[in-house]
Amino acid sequence: MHPDPERELIGYATGALPEPERERVAAHLSACATCRRTVEESRAVLDGLAGGATAPPLDWGRYQAELRARRQARGRSRWWARPLPALVAAGVATAGLVLALQGLHRPGDLAPADESALGARLPLLQQYRVVERLDLLEDLDAIRHLDGVGGAR
Amino acid sequence: MTQPSSDETLCRRVAAGDEAAFDALVARHQGRAYRLAWSLLRDAEDARDVSQEAFLRVYRTAYGFRGDARFSTWFHRILVNLCLDHRRRGRWWRRWLVREDGEGEVDRHPAPVADPGERLGDDQRRARLWAAVGRLSPRQRAVIVLHAQEELTTTEIAAVLDCSEVTVRVHLHRAVSVLRQSLGGD
Repeated sequence: MHPDPERELIGYATGALPEPERERVAAHLSACATCRRTVEESRAVLDGLAGGATAPPLDWGRYQAELRARRQARGRSRWWARPLPALVAAGVATAGLVLALQGLHRPGDLAPADESALGARLPLLQQYRVVERLDLLEDLDAIRHLDGVGGAR
Repeated sequence: MTQPSSDETLCRRVAAGDEAAFDALVARHQGRAYRLAWSLLRDAEDARDVSQEAFLRVYRTAYGFRGDARFSTWFHRILVNLCLDHRRRGRWWRRWLVREDGEGEVDRHPAPVADPGERLGDDQRRARLWAAVGRLSPRQRAVIVLHAQEELTTTEIAAVLDCSEVTVRVHLHRAVSVLRQSLGGD
């Protein structure tokens, strides 16, 4: 049976085959003129390409100057553009946004000014019986109308 | 006498912001990078542009270079991928430039021979082979150029193209078959 030309013969021709396969293909080649010719022609092609092609000449001073200009135009990548810092920065920004949104949507909270005004009126509030029946001062509407209650007393 | 820094050391210094290390890397690899890009693209302007772009990628992403691979393998991968992408992007308009009589880009830019001192027969043979390389598929061309010109092993080519070594051998075999036919009666 002939070796697979796409895997074994080209591997043999380029010296890429590992030892057990290489020996098996070599044994086959000693007895098969067709495969031997394929290997020889492949080697002839690869030898003919050896040394590579020569590109048209280039002004290397100009090349480096252009590269420097392109580099300066784009600038070095910012540290925050790198994967890990970018992830951390995104996480911090998201957490900040969530906290800010939570702060905006707390309807039960009082503004600092309202809290200080209530605190100033606490001694007055303690004079009213109705306050004793309020559940932890939750009924703000009732508190706001205490002045009227007091006037009616 | 101090030893010159390895590519890998220079790359780590580039990642740390060392501009001189980047210039040293460019000076060391610019010739091979341009020649490889030219062999794949067959256009001097494109080769200059794409090889410079590869160096810019190195500059911007040097922090991502892992020390477990050689710098040359990493750089080859960047450059070859840029060349393949460039060819893919340019495919639609290239058809318009290829004349209907079959004369393509390769025939308009025949590859010069490597050594002008060689015998004429070898020169012609080599010129014909390199012209035929330009007619290979992009992947086959990349494999044959990396093997015959850059002298990479099939294992190294597999790492550059991010494929298996068997796939590299298949591309190589098919490329060599096409090139054998191009030699005709030789």
